[in-house]
Amino acid sequence: MGGYRFRWDVIPANLEFLLSGLQQTLYISSITLVLAMIGGMIIALLDMSRFLPFRMIGVAWGELIRNTPILVQLLWIYYVLPMALGININAWTALVIGLSVYSSAFIAEAYRAGIQAVPVGHREAARVLGMSSTQTLFRIVLPQAVRMTLPPLAANFVQLIKFSSLGAVISVGEITRRGMELSASIFRPLEVFTFIAIVYFVICWPLAMAIRAWERRLARR
Amino acid sequence: MSTELATPAATKTALIAAEALSKSFGDVQVLSGIDLAIHPQEVVCMIGPSGSGKTTLLRCLALLETPSLGCVRMEGQIISQPDQTRAVKKAAQSMGRDIGMVFQHFNLWPHMTVLQNIIEAPVRVRKTPRAKAVAEAESLLEKVGLSDKRDVYPARLSGGQQQRVAIARALAMRPKVLLFDEATSALDPELKREVLLVMRALAGEGMTMVVVTHEMGFARNVGTRIVFMDEGAIVEEGAPRAFFETPQTDRAKRFLRQFED
Repeated sequence: MGGYRFRWDVIPANLEFLLSGLQQTLYISSITLVLAMIGGMIIALLDMSRFLPFRMIGVAWGELIRNTPILVQLLWIYYVLPMALGININAWTALVIGLSVYSSAFIAEAYRAGIQAVPVGHREAARVLGMSSTQTLFRIVLPQAVRMTLPPLAANFVQLIKFSSLGAVISVGEITRRGMELSASIFRPLEVFTFIAIVYFVICWPLAMAIRAWERRLARR
Repeated sequence: MSTELATPAATKTALIAAEALSKSFGDVQVLSGIDLAIHPQEVVCMIGPSGSGKTTLLRCLALLETPSLGCVRMEGQIISQPDQTRAVKKAAQSMGRDIGMVFQHFNLWPHMTVLQNIIEAPVRVRKTPRAKAVAEAESLLEKVGLSDKRDVYPARLSGGQQQRVAIARALAMRPKVLLFDEATSALDPELKREVLLVMRALAGEGMTMVVVTHEMGFARNVGTRIVFMDEGAIVEEGAPRAFFETPQTDRAKRFLRQFED
């Protein structure tokens, strides 16, 4: 025991390979965030619709997404959806769709919370002053809601960076997958996976800290 | 008991009037059969125990609540009724701008500066040219004694200052009638005073005002008519002096007794 000889030099030797995976990770997370922001807007609008069937669709969709595991959703999109629709979905597309759908349900909640955080009195003041509901939405409600929504959106981005590692299961070449491939070929899991964990931490931790500071600043206003 | 009972004829010549107005929230009836006509240059002070329906009545006049029965008229025209027909909605949209309201909790928009709060509605709703709206806002700020706060955000102001900005914001739309919903209830005594002084000055200029208040001194000295409400109905109304010195109903007497000390 204790005779393990660390070979940290395997990391610089394969750095390019690993970093190409990191690039994919960040790329996938960014695209997914944008898609999820759009999807989240659609779900939030459905949720807050005056039309009951729309509201039911919005609510049911949100509940379904939030109460099934993301990994199962990914496997379902990758294996089941192509069969059901008779189309071809490659692993990368399946990952982006899966993460976007998953994230959109949470982002919809953030939008809704942001809009509901705007006091009713602010809307009433606008109404008494003769502003239309569209003017009230765009001039009074959304500018305040957006500010409340930005920290949760950033927090979602951190989630996406971490959840994109699930792509490894369906062989998307993001950084975790690259680590699995490298470790399988050079038999150095300890060094490889430690390095990958550090990479995730170095990216996610400062972001999380910044978000916390940002939220504190908002709370003080 | 009252100097004049609101008849339909009276409500038609009034600036703004509630006519046989009732309001229920679910099973709870908050207002029952209110007739109240407000004429130009009147300062009508609505007083009464909490839960008596004063605020709900004011909110009906401000078109923030829809009556369950009866209607609200402005210069004779129906602007709110249970069945909000297209004609009523249209009347509400064009005439509703002439109704201003000041809220208990100010409701300034925190993401806009004082100046932006004031010019927002004139520029967007009345389509006043920006430069003109700014000039008017500046003179309104001078009037409420806050010229130096023009570019400050509401969060940096005291409650009394925020309420004075809210009054300036309401005035910027040049309302024909200004409704005050317990405008000083959320303020410390020394801050109440600065707001009451502004309200008093407005009354002196002939602004038509409906004031829901617990400030008996203001009601007595500035009001031109007192409306005493209890349990969703107008129990007694009359000139301030007569009301405070010789209230006619037991309920008004009982209510006024709590201010004797």
